[in-house]
Amino acid sequence: MGRYVIRRLIQAIPVLIGATLLIYALVHYLPGDPVQALAGEKRADPIVAEMIRQRYHLNDPFIVQYWNYISGVFQGDLGESLQGRAVSDLIGDAFPYTVNLALVAFVIEAVVGVAAGVMAALRKGKFLDQLILISTLLVISIPVFVTGFILQLVLGVQLKNDYGIDFFSVSFNEDDGLRAYLLPAFVLASLSLAYVARLTRTSLMETMRADYVRTAVAKGLKRRRVIGRHALRNALIPIVTFLGADLGGLMGGAVITEKIFNIHGIGGLLAQAVYQKQGTIIVGVVTLLVMIYLVTTLLVDMLYAVLDPRIRYE
Amino acid sequence: MRGATTTKWLVAATAIALAATACSTSSKSSDDKAASGGGSIAVQLGEPQHGLVGQNTAESEGNQVLYALFTGLVDYDRKTNAPRLQVAESIETTDSKVWTIKLKDGYTFHNGEKVTSKSFVDAWNWGANQDNAAEGMPFFDKIEGSDELAPGKDKKPTVKELKGLKVVDDKTFTVTLKAPFSQFKTMLGYSAFYPLPTAFFTDPKAFGDNPIGNGPFQMDGAWEHNKQIKIKRYDNYGGTKAKLQNVTFKIYDNLDTAYNDLRADNIQATNKLPISAMSSVASEFGDRYINKPESGVGYIGFPIAYNPAYAKPEIRKAISMAIDREQITKTIFAGTRVPASDFISPLINGYRKGACGDACKYDPAKAKDLFTQAGGLPNNTLELGYNADGGHKEWIEAVGNQLKKNLGVEVTFKPFEKFGKILDALQGKQYQGAFRMAWSMDYPSIENYLRPIFSKVAIESGSNYGGYVNDKFEDLLNQADQAKTEDEGIKLYQQADDVLIQDMPYIPVYTYQASAAYSKKIKNFDTDAQSRYNLAEVELAG
Repeated sequence: MGRYVIRRLIQAIPVLIGATLLIYALVHYLPGDPVQALAGEKRADPIVAEMIRQRYHLNDPFIVQYWNYISGVFQGDLGESLQGRAVSDLIGDAFPYTVNLALVAFVIEAVVGVAAGVMAALRKGKFLDQLILISTLLVISIPVFVTGFILQLVLGVQLKNDYGIDFFSVSFNEDDGLRAYLLPAFVLASLSLAYVARLTRTSLMETMRADYVRTAVAKGLKRRRVIGRHALRNALIPIVTFLGADLGGLMGGAVITEKIFNIHGIGGLLAQAVYQKQGTIIVGVVTLLVMIYLVTTLLVDMLYAVLDPRIRYE
Repeated sequence: MRGATTTKWLVAATAIALAATACSTSSKSSDDKAASGGGSIAVQLGEPQHGLVGQNTAESEGNQVLYALFTGLVDYDRKTNAPRLQVAESIETTDSKVWTIKLKDGYTFHNGEKVTSKSFVDAWNWGANQDNAAEGMPFFDKIEGSDELAPGKDKKPTVKELKGLKVVDDKTFTVTLKAPFSQFKTMLGYSAFYPLPTAFFTDPKAFGDNPIGNGPFQMDGAWEHNKQIKIKRYDNYGGTKAKLQNVTFKIYDNLDTAYNDLRADNIQATNKLPISAMSSVASEFGDRYINKPESGVGYIGFPIAYNPAYAKPEIRKAISMAIDREQITKTIFAGTRVPASDFISPLINGYRKGACGDACKYDPAKAKDLFTQAGGLPNNTLELGYNADGGHKEWIEAVGNQLKKNLGVEVTFKPFEKFGKILDALQGKQYQGAFRMAWSMDYPSIENYLRPIFSKVAIESGSNYGGYVNDKFEDLLNQADQAKTEDEGIKLYQQADDVLIQDMPYIPVYTYQASAAYSKKIKNFDTDAQSRYNLAEVELAG
């Protein structure tokens, strides 16, 4: 297992270099002038614009710019935004919010999603199953920003104004701790939660028909043990794959949810950087995201081995 | 049982976490009334672009904060926008070229340093130096010696100080301009002209996060990026002291969220409302909803300089008369914009309602006649360009449809991905069609609506994108600059405005309305021409 992990991590290095080069090039050749973008709808003063270009070496050829950037990265310097803030500061400010939001959302979707799926599978065709099927279908078909705005209005504004209950804040308020994340995380998790529930239901129903489950039942094992130890554990493999990929996605920031609840996370930072064509920020953030994806996929692959002892990496 | 136990653990952990947070709910907002004199409020803000230095701030969010932290030589009357003396005791001139500025006693920076002539002169010298790449640098263009400090690309400034600034004593300094400019006093309330304490020059970057100003409020801790900026009352302020004790600028990047926070009274004021609120805000906030003219003007422009199809003023006038401004502002902008009838914004001293006359009145029959008489457009087609990222598609298409119907021309639309792309296409003389354009003022003077957009010098370094040139217009601007008094100047600028109305280099379509709203918790709230909060005057209600 150890050698496998090391091999995977070494493989990550060319992926990272390739990704930075590719993204840096894409941003570089995007149309539009980042210095003009700073000035909004007025023409940037030619002299001021020129001084900013010189300060950030924007007049240099692409390969020189990339070399300057990447050699800075190896010295631990991620560069500066055109507004004069260090990219490491920008990411450092935004990333904790994204991680917290992602983790809370992940817990919600994993716990509630799997639980709902198991309940539906075990009561196939009954009322609870129908309820879960219909409600998840509803969640899947409503866009996130609609759910977000409605919950914000009902739980944030009306609950406070009409009933005096000030529990869910309209916008994210860091001082509220975990409570501040609940509503946004629920909104963010809702879609994946529905998928997880449906996936669990189908997958568990299928394994319940498998021979080894019948054997376990015939052995006279308790129902809890049959489901928990034998059926669910095998049924979880596709769900873990989905959750793993989803965690990577969640860590990449949730532009819409972050925007609705005013969470200044990675998603918003990246969206704004793309809009303003600020290469150093984009490459910094995306590199981080690539690393996160590499790590989460590695974790998922290792989890397979835990869930299914037949899978071995050596 | 490994799987099952893990699940149980997660459920238990979430339950505990939920319970723990539920306990802390009611502790919030109780410190609001700590009112050790004045109370505290929170207001909406967007993340400022740069460090909070007046000389480097040409955008609205940074200006909003700076306005609370700094007081300039003048500020502007909220009704008339005429400059009112603040730190300045007097600002005098006999020839509009050499200006003598005397300072009042009693203004200090938040660290106790006295505000002297040097605080201003040093700040302006820093702002005018191209090595500092300050966004406010163009504001010093008119002062003698600015070219030496900003010689341009690949050159180094040869001096460190503006030749035109002379410190006479602690309380007096003189400003010599390159050429007379009767409206100079009007510029001085802009943030580029704020003073700076000596502490700034040791570390400009650190200062940007923790500025030391001379205004009614001082920083209460450093700027927490993307979260909030807290300020508190400065008790040794030289002017009228603020009423509130604390103000928090809460940073949003979504106006809908800010508006919902205002409705839940989590913040007490916002100077920007989301489009979605426009239909209900008036009934929900009543007289706590403010809707008044803002400095922006929206135009349709033409590449006069290189496309002869639009060379005739009659063609441009006909197009103007074929646009139903009333309908566009009502149906598309829900009253957030109003029809323009002058090139000048209604909030500017010198604006004349209806100055544009028939040329801006909707009259399809006359428009069509004029259009045909002037020979129409080649191939009977007209192209309308706009930037697709700013919500302009709807009104541009409405204009296009009106022109199609009223003038019988074929109208095509050309979306550009960003505003900058329109500018590039015009600069490279690649784009032949008409285009949307807008202007919002740098300082509240009528001159600011004429020279930067329509003068010869603005083709190179300003915003004259159409390339309009008219010697009579230039002449009148120069005369107005040299006027001995501000009022005399304004009259001459109005004559220059009349030349524009004759020529219609751009078509003024609408002027912007600013909208703001505030909660029941506060009173005496208002916004100024730049949509800035009057935080120093706001009080808690009741």
